[in-house]
Amino acid sequence: MIEPQNKGAVAPPPSPLAILLMNLWAYPLLVFLTLAGVLFFPLGFAYGRFFRRWQADRLTRWVIWVYGRCWLLMMRPFVRFERQQMELLEVGKPYLFVINHLSFFDTFCMALLPIYDIAFAVRSWPFRMFWYRKFMYLARYLDVENGSWDDSLASSKETFATAGSVLFFPEGHRSRNGSLQRFYSGGFKIAVAAGVAVVPLCIVGTDQLLPPGRKLMHPCRISLRVLEPIDTAKFAVEGGHMQLRRLVKGKIEKNLAEMRAGLD
Amino acid sequence: MTEAEVIELIDSSLAEEFELDRKDMVPEANIYEDLGLDSLDTVDMVIVLEGAFAFKIREEEAVRAIRKLEDIHHFVLSKTGQNS
Repeated sequence: MIEPQNKGAVAPPPSPLAILLMNLWAYPLLVFLTLAGVLFFPLGFAYGRFFRRWQADRLTRWVIWVYGRCWLLMMRPFVRFERQQMELLEVGKPYLFVINHLSFFDTFCMALLPIYDIAFAVRSWPFRMFWYRKFMYLARYLDVENGSWDDSLASSKETFATAGSVLFFPEGHRSRNGSLQRFYSGGFKIAVAAGVAVVPLCIVGTDQLLPPGRKLMHPCRISLRVLEPIDTAKFAVEGGHMQLRRLVKGKIEKNLAEMRAGLD
Repeated sequence: MTEAEVIELIDSSLAEEFELDRKDMVPEANIYEDLGLDSLDTVDMVIVLEGAFAFKIREEEAVRAIRKLEDIHHFVLSKTGQNS
C-alpha cells in the first residue's frame, strides 16, 4: 500500500497568497478556455472533417488534447509539470493505458502524453457535465458505468482498429487519501480480448493540485511517468486478465512510491 | 475440510483477489453494495472459487442468484457436500 503522506523532508505548504493568486488566475482562465473551445470547435471540426478528412472521433480527440495542452500552458505559472519515459511510447500504435486516479484534473494531464488519439473510459458522472458531454460522445469515450461490457469491448476494438488508444482508471474512483485503491478488471479484460499492449501510467501531484472534496487549487509539482508497454498475448488464458491486473498494479505501486519519494 | 475451513478459504480467496477488508466480510454483506464488486468481478469470482475448490461452477444457474457473501458460502458448501 502506498502511504498517502510523504515521509521525511516534505515541501513547505504553499502560502495563502499563492493559493489565492492561483485560483484567481486558473478558474477564470479555465472558464474562458472552455468557452472558447466550445465556440471555436464547430469551425475546427468542419475544417478537419472536410479539408483534412479526419474521422469525427479522432478529430474530437485531437481537439480535446489541444484543449488539454492549452490548460497545461495556462497552469504553468503555478504548476511544474514533469514527463518521464515518454520515449517508451510509439506514436501511431494502439495501447490500452491504465493510470492511478487522484484528481479531476488527471484527465487534463493526459495532454502531457505525446499521443492525442485516446478515448477515455469514465464513469457516468462526467457525461452529465453538459459543457463536455457533446465532445465526449463525439470522441467516443466509454461510459463504463452505464454501458455494457460488450459495448465497451466493441467500441474499444473500433478505436484500436484505427490506431487509437483507450485509457482506463482501474481504481474506478479518485483516491480520497492518495493511496492506491483496488483495481477493477474491465480494462485488463479488454486489453487481453483485443490483443493490445497495456501501458501503465503513474501520476503524482494532482492530489496536491485539487484532491476530491477541495475547491481551491494549490500550486504543486505534477509528474507523469510512462512504464514499459506490456504485451498481453501471454495473458490470453483463463484468468489471465487477473494476473495482468496484479502485475500492472504492482508496477504502478512501486513506481508511485519512487515518484513520491522524488517529490520530497 | 470442515464447514469453517471452507468458509475461511472462500473469504480469504475473495479478500486476496478483490482486496477486500476482512472486517467488511460479514455473511450478510451484499457483494455489490457492501463489498463493491461489479458484474465483471462476478466472473472473476467464479474463476477464483473454481481455483480454490477445484470444481466447475460457471454453468450453474445458482451463481447468477448470488447477492450476499452468505449466498456464496451456502453455494460452495453445497457443492463441496458440507451443506444439505
